[in-house]
Amino acid sequence: MKKIVFITLSLLLAVSFWNCEKDDICAEGTPTTPRVIIEFYDATATTTLKNVTSLGVIEPTFATGFAFTAVSKIQVPLRTNATTTTLNFIQNGSDTDTSNDNIDAITFNYATSDVYISRACGYKTLFYLDPTTPVSLTADSNNWIQNIVVTQPDIENENEVHVKIYF
Amino acid sequence: MLKYIFSLTLGCVSFVGTAQVKDTAKVVYPERYGLRLGVDLHRLARTFYETDYRGLELVGDYRLTRRFYIAGELGNEDKTVDDDRLNFTTKGTYFKAGFDYNSFENWLDMENMIYVGMRYGVSSFSQTLNSYKIYDPTNYYGETVITSGEKFNGLTASWIEVIGGIKAELFNNLYLGFSLRLNYLVSDKKPANFDNLYIPGFNRTYDGKFGAGLNYTVSYFIPIYKKNKPIAEKK
Repeated sequence: MKKIVFITLSLLLAVSFWNCEKDDICAEGTPTTPRVIIEFYDATATTTLKNVTSLGVIEPTFATGFAFTAVSKIQVPLRTNATTTTLNFIQNGSDTDTSNDNIDAITFNYATSDVYISRACGYKTLFYLDPTTPVSLTADSNNWIQNIVVTQPDIENENEVHVKIYF
Repeated sequence: MLKYIFSLTLGCVSFVGTAQVKDTAKVVYPERYGLRLGVDLHRLARTFYETDYRGLELVGDYRLTRRFYIAGELGNEDKTVDDDRLNFTTKGTYFKAGFDYNSFENWLDMENMIYVGMRYGVSSFSQTLNSYKIYDPTNYYGETVITSGEKFNGLTASWIEVIGGIKAELFNNLYLGFSLRLNYLVSDKKPANFDNLYIPGFNRTYDGKFGAGLNYTVSYFIPIYKKNKPIAEKK
């Protein structure tokens, strides 16, 4: 019987250690706040994917942004604490030459929903693009973006394309 | 050298020899049966030294047979957990009932315990989500902390505990006890869009169903009746 007591006590101790830090770090690969997945298509041949050569994406007031070169699919984050996000999509913006830059401002309008993940990760924000004006392109004298089509207004994960941009 | 080992061995053998000489005089000690009531000092102490914890646990057991005790705990806890990404407050009451089995063969009229036991615990509680952080891996716009204050009422949980512990008589009828508990969550009613990260009585929950707890009790024994210790037949 004393053996049973000893085994029980050591088991309790072992379990308490083994349980300790397992769920204290948000594991990589956990689906957290999704980014908008944007795919680029040719404006003339609308079913053909077209690579951006050197695209820069930046929040207008920020100093740093995201650079994409020779890809047709990009991911950009949205604001989790607001219902609109405006981003400048700069054609030739990720190279050092600033004279060839063409800035097009795109505004995303959406509703947010915070969803619980876990103790270690906290919450994630899901975005639901506005049904009337989901994504708007600010018109200027020289828009390089020809058309924007929303294919999936519910931005709940990064597995599908949400927005298609034709240029 | 060999001589020393020999004499040492002889010494040992002679010791064993004396130990085997039995005292044939048989004295019968009456064993006391009754109710033992107490309080958990660990939760009481934490109430004073932890600012975000308030808890009280009353413990009790009743000696049913020579080795079996019906035992239970009744408690109330109010705990605020400040995690890296979440801050929440859990408030609630719990009750545990089960048995203890004393595996300790007491000398003379001593009444100490080294025991194993089991409990079934139930808890009724509420969770208040004070604040949370949004996990955005890009972290481009900075971290968003949401102050929520949302309260989830009417939550329940039940679990099984496996216990190992000791109880020792300090003075007349006054016992000091310590127990370690391994908990297995049987069921819990989770709040919508949140989780039971702490359950009163069960303590912190983990990814799986297991948890752990302890208590450090001081209790007073109220004797009700006496019964003689059955005399062992062998030898």
